[in-house]
Amino acid sequence: MSTGSLLEEAFDANASGYPEVVAARTPTQLLWRRLRRDRLAMVSLAFIIFLVFIAVFAPLIVSLIGAPEPNVMNSSLLNSFGNPSGPSSAHWLGVDGLGRDVLSRTIYGTRVALEVALISSAIAMLLGVVAGLLSGYFRGPVDTGISRLVDVLLAFPVLLLAIGLASACSLGNGCLGGAIQPGLGTVIAVIAIVSWTYPARLIRGQVLSLREKEFVEAARSLGASNARIIFREILPNLVGPMIVYATLIIPTAILFEAALSFLGIGVSPSTPSWGAMISDATTTFDTAWWYMVAPGVALLLTVLAFNLLGDGLSDALNPRSED
Amino acid sequence: MSRIMRLSIGLMATGLAIAVSACGGGGSGGSASLGVPNKQDTSGKQGGTLTVLASGDVDYIDPGAAYYQFSYMIDYATQRPLYSWAPDETQTPTPDLAVAQPKVSNSGKTITVEIRPNILYSPPLQKQAVTSADVKYGIERGFMPSVANGYATAYLGNIVGAAEFSEGKATEISGITTPTPTTIVFNLTKPTTAAVIGALALPLSAPVPESYAAKYDAGKTSTYGTHQVSTGPYMIRNNAAGETVGYQVGKSIDLVRNPNWDAKTDYRKAYLNEIKVTEGNADSAVASRQILQGQSQINGDFGPPPAQLQQLFQKKSSQLVLAPSGGIRYVALNTTVAPLDNLNVRKAIVAVSDREAMRKARGGEALGPIATHFIPPEMPGFDQAGGEKGPDYDFLANPTGNLALAQSYMKKAGYPSGSYTGSQVLQIVGTSGGQAQKLAEITQAQLAKLGFKTKLQLVTQDAMYTQFCNVPKKAVAVCPNVGWLKDFNDAQTILVPTFNGENIVQVNNSNWPQLNVPSINEAMNSAQLITDPNKAADAWAAIDKQVTAQAPAIPWIWDQQPNIASQNVQGVISKFNAQWDLSFTSIK
Repeated sequence: MSTGSLLEEAFDANASGYPEVVAARTPTQLLWRRLRRDRLAMVSLAFIIFLVFIAVFAPLIVSLIGAPEPNVMNSSLLNSFGNPSGPSSAHWLGVDGLGRDVLSRTIYGTRVALEVALISSAIAMLLGVVAGLLSGYFRGPVDTGISRLVDVLLAFPVLLLAIGLASACSLGNGCLGGAIQPGLGTVIAVIAIVSWTYPARLIRGQVLSLREKEFVEAARSLGASNARIIFREILPNLVGPMIVYATLIIPTAILFEAALSFLGIGVSPSTPSWGAMISDATTTFDTAWWYMVAPGVALLLTVLAFNLLGDGLSDALNPRSED
Repeated sequence: MSRIMRLSIGLMATGLAIAVSACGGGGSGGSASLGVPNKQDTSGKQGGTLTVLASGDVDYIDPGAAYYQFSYMIDYATQRPLYSWAPDETQTPTPDLAVAQPKVSNSGKTITVEIRPNILYSPPLQKQAVTSADVKYGIERGFMPSVANGYATAYLGNIVGAAEFSEGKATEISGITTPTPTTIVFNLTKPTTAAVIGALALPLSAPVPESYAAKYDAGKTSTYGTHQVSTGPYMIRNNAAGETVGYQVGKSIDLVRNPNWDAKTDYRKAYLNEIKVTEGNADSAVASRQILQGQSQINGDFGPPPAQLQQLFQKKSSQLVLAPSGGIRYVALNTTVAPLDNLNVRKAIVAVSDREAMRKARGGEALGPIATHFIPPEMPGFDQAGGEKGPDYDFLANPTGNLALAQSYMKKAGYPSGSYTGSQVLQIVGTSGGQAQKLAEITQAQLAKLGFKTKLQLVTQDAMYTQFCNVPKKAVAVCPNVGWLKDFNDAQTILVPTFNGENIVQVNNSNWPQLNVPSINEAMNSAQLITDPNKAADAWAAIDKQVTAQAPAIPWIWDQQPNIASQNVQGVISKFNAQWDLSFTSIK
């Protein structure tokens, strides 16, 4: 059959008389199409959206369900020996050792978890990408310097390093001349500092490969500056890996924050943090089991959701995966 | 006894949850079934090794420097001060190195003590007997900068020549004389007899041979502690050179029998062959479980957490003993930091405070009554100061807090809205972890009710004291985790170190509110000279009321201290120290 016949058929197929044009899907459309097929990833995405909603509208939600604010203490809800009361119609998930509503604190804890995770991950990715780009593109002394720095930081036991930094910055006016203040700022900074090395290595590897590609050579031959090549040619090709890694670094950051809060470092005491709640609940688990369950389940589901979404994105962005 | 409360509060994490009806009401004695019997059974079986689990270390291993409840647990087993405390004794010290009670003469300005002859020191000293000169040197050490005992000046500063000696202007305290090897005489500038006699029941009066110790005391910081000799039934295991190899800083203390101790000269029984103190048990839940389920163990400087205590009481109450501490816990308000320098502001803060919540954070009514002033129960002056009900000040009338009254005081303080509208951010420094942290958070929440902006800093118990609350120049506004125990059964030990403005020092300060009211200072100085016990009790009660009226702190509990032991331990409590008495405890 001749080409002309195909065009004729195309024209014939369109009842309105306009020719049908076959349009290629954009990368985003392809990504979404592939991701949609992964049910676990979609459920995880929905859960994450739900979490964001909870975090943003926490005060309204707490008000609507009739729970008290997270830091309202009510000692009358403790028995005469100071033990917290369990779930009731007024306090669906019971109260903690200071008479504070556990459900309310779990809801507000979403804010802390997401705020710390998203900001620290963003900073870690920014630092990592910049370091990886510079290291992989320029190579030589720049690569050597950055890579050795990464090696040194990776040699530190991460949790101990985080504990040390968090402890040092949690007292008085913080550290770095007050640039890092005690509280959430400390936790965010600490997580970012210990987390940027992994994306730096990953991006460096990608850049080492990309810089040898023909399109980079072509841009160079056309007189493009290094900055243009880095940001206009190489960086766009790193978006996929960056997205995947970001979704995988977020749950690590959430767990990190929970661990630091569990150890009593960084987050201020009254801040409703899941990790701090779990820590507080350990001494009363025998008599007040509910106190640990709520933040524990919340933490579990959140970390799981981000991990599953990250896996789904990784598969969806893999060019070898079937369309 | 400041450090008694300093470390006990932070480490206790006790929130006692005694959830059985036998616990009884909120009386000062707690549960009859869990309290210390009026007369304890001090019989026991010889032998065995006892393990004491502790969270931290003693403050000082040197008995001349120690000023901490946990340190006293060790010191009263290894040293023989002139007087000490038999297990059931809280009123009158028991003659220890002394033969009998002191003789007072010269209108209360001369105190004479006869000591027992032929009391030998432990190895490496062999066949060296204690003399009165050794007691004199032991007390003089407390005034040396290399030892710097925390109560020497407060209680013994009126000995003739003490001031000159501590300033380095004399080579001895001239007011302490030793006319015979078994006689020691204290000459005072003022008849502060009660204070001096009380202090002679503290470890500072334990003898120290100058010929042996002087070389260790000569440096900037004395090292006698790690070379100490003992006169009590136990000693810290040492080597031939006298080095206390049984003391590993922050790790362990190993007490063995003192081979030169003569049981016939001592009221102590000393059943145990060895006592091992193991430190670093930071998790009180784990350590408590170890004690309760294990063998031959007792607690040292911590108490079990709430959940365990509740179970303990319900299932194993014979392993728990509540001992009245003879002290008080309070939230100190710095009277030199604005706006806390305003009396009405302080009254407002006290008025709004939910002291019931504070007590529940610790463990509830089983742990003692809510405090309404500072002299604790069973101390002379307590009843005269108002007893449990207190002196009837309106700002202390409601144990759960009275916001309306608090706001009225704020209005009187110049805040028409009833809330603080200034820009000052109050610094609160509390102890991290456990019940102490809960208390700090409660304090912060109470202040927020009156509009105060606060910055809560949580640090270790030691740091809370040594780096913040004890250091006036740090200007910490609120110290929520402080408290004070008696040094001896006299109200001055509760009020003088903590509320006399003349005792404010720039380092190691115990007057945390920095209260400095001249009329109160003067009243305290006068009351210390009263020799008649009843008049003294009245005088101190009146001072207690004056101090309470200044609202320098939020008093919240006169507490009881929970002590736990393994099932096979026959524990005996030192009611003076509110802890296990190592010289009477035995293995069944």
